[in-house]
Amino acid sequence: MRSWPLDYFYALACLSLLLAGPLVAESKKSEGTLWSLRPLARVEVPKDGHPIDSFIQANALSKEQKQTPRASRRELVRRASYGLTGLPSNPKMVEAFVADARPDPVAFRDVYEDLLESYHYGEHWGRHWLDVVRYADTAGENSDHPLPHAWRYRNWVIDAFNEDKPYDQFVRDQIAGDLLGQDLPQAQRNAAIIATGYLAISRRFGHDIDKRMYLMYEDTIDNLGKAFLGLTISCARCHDHKHDPIAMRDYYALYGVFDSTRFSFPGCEPKQQPRDLIPLVSEALVARKKAWEERQAALDAELKSADQPNKSKALKTLAGKCYKVVSQGEVPEGGSVQVTKDPVVLKVRKGEAIQLSISPLKNHGADTTIVDFSISHTSGGKMTRWSVNDHFDEFLTNHPVQAAEGAAWCFLDIGSPDPRVLNRRDVAVSGHEELNAWTAHDGGLPSVLINDSNQPVNVWHTLPPRTFFCHPSQRGAVAIAWLSPVDGTVTVDLSLSDGHPGGPDGVEWLLEHFAETSVARAYRELCEVSVPRAELVAEIAAHAAKSKELMIPVAYAVTEGEPKQARVHLRGNHEEIGEEVPRQFLAMLGGGKLGDSASSGRRELAERMASANNPLTARVMVNRLWAWHFGRGLVATPNDFGNHGAQPSHPELLDYLAGYLIEHGWSVKALQRHLLSSATYQQAARDDIRPDTFAAFARRRLTAEELRDTLLVASGELDRTPGVAHPFPPEESWSFTQHGPFADEYDTKRRSVYVMRKRNRASRFFALFNGADPNASTAQREATTVPTQALYFMNDPFFHNCAAKFAKRLRKSGTTAEDRLEIACRELFARPARPEDLADFREFANELESIVERDAKSKDAEIWNAYARVLLASNELLHLD
Amino acid sequence: MPGLLHRLAAAEDGLDPLAFKQGHHPAKAKNVIFLFMTGGVSHVDTFDPKPKLTADVGKEVKVDHPEIQNRPGYERIFLKAPQWDFSAHGQCGTEVSTLFPHVATCVDDIALIRSMHTDHSNHYNATLGMHTGSFAFARPSIGSWVSYGLGTANQNLPSFITIAPKQTYAGTQVYASDFLPGAHQGTLVVPGPEPIANVTPRVAKSQQELELAALQRLNQRHLSQRTGNALSEARIKTFETAFGMQMEAPAAFDFSRESEATHKLYGLERGSTEGFAWQCLAARRLVERGVRFVELIDTGSSGNWDSHGNMLDHVKLAKNVDQPIAALLKDLKGRGLLEETLVVWTTEFGRTPFNNKADAPGREHHNWAFSSWLAGAGVKPGTVYGATDEYGMNPETDPVHVHDLHATILHLMGLDHEQLTFRHSGRDFRLTDVYGNVVDGVLA
Repeated sequence: MRSWPLDYFYALACLSLLLAGPLVAESKKSEGTLWSLRPLARVEVPKDGHPIDSFIQANALSKEQKQTPRASRRELVRRASYGLTGLPSNPKMVEAFVADARPDPVAFRDVYEDLLESYHYGEHWGRHWLDVVRYADTAGENSDHPLPHAWRYRNWVIDAFNEDKPYDQFVRDQIAGDLLGQDLPQAQRNAAIIATGYLAISRRFGHDIDKRMYLMYEDTIDNLGKAFLGLTISCARCHDHKHDPIAMRDYYALYGVFDSTRFSFPGCEPKQQPRDLIPLVSEALVARKKAWEERQAALDAELKSADQPNKSKALKTLAGKCYKVVSQGEVPEGGSVQVTKDPVVLKVRKGEAIQLSISPLKNHGADTTIVDFSISHTSGGKMTRWSVNDHFDEFLTNHPVQAAEGAAWCFLDIGSPDPRVLNRRDVAVSGHEELNAWTAHDGGLPSVLINDSNQPVNVWHTLPPRTFFCHPSQRGAVAIAWLSPVDGTVTVDLSLSDGHPGGPDGVEWLLEHFAETSVARAYRELCEVSVPRAELVAEIAAHAAKSKELMIPVAYAVTEGEPKQARVHLRGNHEEIGEEVPRQFLAMLGGGKLGDSASSGRRELAERMASANNPLTARVMVNRLWAWHFGRGLVATPNDFGNHGAQPSHPELLDYLAGYLIEHGWSVKALQRHLLSSATYQQAARDDIRPDTFAAFARRRLTAEELRDTLLVASGELDRTPGVAHPFPPEESWSFTQHGPFADEYDTKRRSVYVMRKRNRASRFFALFNGADPNASTAQREATTVPTQALYFMNDPFFHNCAAKFAKRLRKSGTTAEDRLEIACRELFARPARPEDLADFREFANELESIVERDAKSKDAEIWNAYARVLLASNELLHLD
Repeated sequence: MPGLLHRLAAAEDGLDPLAFKQGHHPAKAKNVIFLFMTGGVSHVDTFDPKPKLTADVGKEVKVDHPEIQNRPGYERIFLKAPQWDFSAHGQCGTEVSTLFPHVATCVDDIALIRSMHTDHSNHYNATLGMHTGSFAFARPSIGSWVSYGLGTANQNLPSFITIAPKQTYAGTQVYASDFLPGAHQGTLVVPGPEPIANVTPRVAKSQQELELAALQRLNQRHLSQRTGNALSEARIKTFETAFGMQMEAPAAFDFSRESEATHKLYGLERGSTEGFAWQCLAARRLVERGVRFVELIDTGSSGNWDSHGNMLDHVKLAKNVDQPIAALLKDLKGRGLLEETLVVWTTEFGRTPFNNKADAPGREHHNWAFSSWLAGAGVKPGTVYGATDEYGMNPETDPVHVHDLHATILHLMGLDHEQLTFRHSGRDFRLTDVYGNVVDGVLA
């Protein structure tokens, strides 16, 4: 039986939505039937009153339904504060507004102007946009790799709202900022590159992302269509769109644009490391970095060439002929062995060598082994003793390490086919100045190292002071050779112990005597050609030091790839390739060639997506802005302006607002000012009227972010500084798999927009309170009400903690219950305390007092902790009028 | 509940998404217990006997299999013999291997499907598919669909509960409601002292009652000062329900009044809150209390049935679940609950009848064929449906796709998988996408 690719089934799924018709066809001639494609109507603006109010009231829907009276100033300021910044209103601002003697509309204008200027405005409205573009801090493939640089795009969105970046430019930058910003000054150019993070954060799929790029392109096209055009273009992946005039060719015409683009690669299970990240610097710095890397490669090569095959072979051959095994054995895991418990006395000649080698047991390899190795010789009544512990202060000076009477110590990697001298000086191993090592030229194991200080060092294990260690590699042994300067008998003392108990599986040792007087010369010659000149060593160190100033920040973004045309995937199956489709814009929006043999076409795509002539660009955005302010769009399906989406409830108003946005230089803030200044926005709230009449303000629940931020404000602990990068583990350490995906959580006191969000493992809090879906565009938040949310307000530790801190602040700021309630009501509800608030509190306090057995002071604390929870869990806090 | 006075019937105005609903046709089952074995259980070593595979061990086979394409070392593959003996059990004589000695005693209640197949040989995709019917994109879980279609009988407990010691492949997506209303998302229960998050009161009950009474006073005043405020009414009600949950949920997970005999049946040490035995007994207690859909996931995304390295790993995984599953079936039956509860046992895919060496210790992923079974309400007892070929490579008769299994589960719950739709992103979505046939052969 066959194993169908999963896409085949997907294709059939899509296909079956088709009632009939050819698979690949020109766009259906139904443009006339889709309202949203009609050019923006030149709407006659009513002469009297605020245009928005006139449109709302003139609408047939509203005829039956009278407008609701104005909201109170207190309701209004709280509404505007959450609506514009996502944060509770500042009591000072509330009181200033309430006391303002000017007429309501004039006084209110100052309120929203202040809020629009707050940095928190961008954080709140940026979050709206991040919902639409399904922003996340992980890639979403099977092991959900972190995206350590995506935060730059998140902050770019926040900054764009704060700077009131014209919406058309906002759109263009996200699609082609890297191309459009090429001639800008460096900082702006970098920002434009970061903007294309919009494309890069497309969801990744599968085990090996590179093999599932067609799924990523679908996600890219799906989001591009919904976010900017309100179109479900990805429905045309497998067949012509069933409801809207989008042909399969249209889909693959856009597919070609993204297939001609190079996306930053996040890493995946078989390819852990990211690649194609975009450097954020001038070309000059990139060039310097490149020159640095070239020189580094040359230095590496020079060092590597020091592995002299001839000399190495000579030593191996010679040693192979003259070796005598003195002793061998094993040091078990965690154990220690005094090898020379019985004295080992050897007869040696000048020029011979005694070599100790340490190999890993089993296959786990590297284990730190403490080596106490010495050789002594008595001649004419004078004893000379050579020890590996003699050289703590000049360990890295020469190799071989020169010892008394012309003896020397030589360190080798003998796990390689031919012996290699450990020729690289590793100063300050793992950043510990006390640890110095000789390692292989590539810096890896095996190595010999010393702790030269009088103190133990805590590194992978606590390494004792003034100790010599060796560290075999997984491949094999490390060797320590003593080159004899004497003729006569020597006594060998050797003790070994496991320096890393609890590490792998112990080691094996072998002590040999190479009884041939030319052996020492062979060692020395190998060292001579292997160990780099002092100048080279100095240059390598100096060169390494320069790398710090060349650290280049990177963006998770896109750049131009290899331009090509896509071919249709028949029935959406990427293994069944059909005809080639030239890159072009959606036929129903006028088509137009995108790109050429030298460019992807993103530049032209950006222009067409963000054009005043494209009726969807402005319509879709003003509808979003309306929906985020009023709780419901003039088109109730902000991501779908197609035939299956909702029809506009107020088509003239929609076109009027779209025109307004364009005429005001695509200024989002200008449009928001216009919305906020209307009586429609300033109505009182109720939710028992037809919502599409906008004849009242739609009362709403705080979003998950607003709730968390409010609790942090109440606790007095909200960190109002902008977020930066998340503390992800370093990229070198990544080894995420579908069996062990990335699953960290990071605590922060910053605003919720800065909380790290994963694609494959939803945060419990955000899932509980209808947070945005990080896998698909969220046009508007739901607000389902379930008992598990109530449990949060009853028993969640974070909630209890914030309430306790809020209570502490209240008790500190006010001495009487009246004072404390006053502060609480002003902070949480934007109103003074009323007599009934005090009555409620007293009733509660009396009841609680009767059951809490504590002294007076802790009783007071307990009562206020409890009442803080009551206030913070109340509908008056959670619901916005 | 003292102190909480106003019982508001928010459900009646359609605001309560979990209100009890009628299905499309009379239901055979009220509740589902969905047992998911993570990692891919080998069908030829458990529920699908293949004597020919033993006879032909070492024979080279040529198949175009997704797990060997372009895989170094897998240019040639050979049949690998099953490592456990099979024998016939019960009146019906269904053959089960020695890996499942306890479940084998229940075969007369089981409809075994030996011809399952799925679309993808990757854990992530196959696990997502088994839970959502979608093999690439996040979609609502089957438990969410059932909750959406039928609501729930007990408002003091969530409608859909997933009990999992660890996250399986695809993480929280396997029990997420995705585009369905959030009330239908699976509530995660992690075996341990606080199974449902935040269900343990952090203050004395008497004090919490005072706090909730004070809160309801505030909320009632807030409500009375505003016209038309359905949102607030609904939320007032949730605190009453949550208060009930604080009692009911710990009660559901408090096994202290379960008899010695029951503990022994499940193989559960008294006081232990770990292991599949705990999960199974919890499942029985939850369906007893009206929870609509209970999923039990045995292990996480590592240390599971994914026995590439050594099939003998199946021994301890089977041991972890075998007795508890049999106990669950017997316990439900003994209490008359099996008549209204559908029990489903499955995994995401099977394991290859071959490997690159006949004596290779492990088996690879095999999405072409695997075994699942149903038991309980509306299920034809003591039957075997479908069959694979002589080596267990492919279904030979009556293939059953994951979509068919889903359609059958919904059918037994009184739901028509073609009518259970949700409008999202411009089209109507279904659990079964555009596929799925109810498997009549397993229906009583």
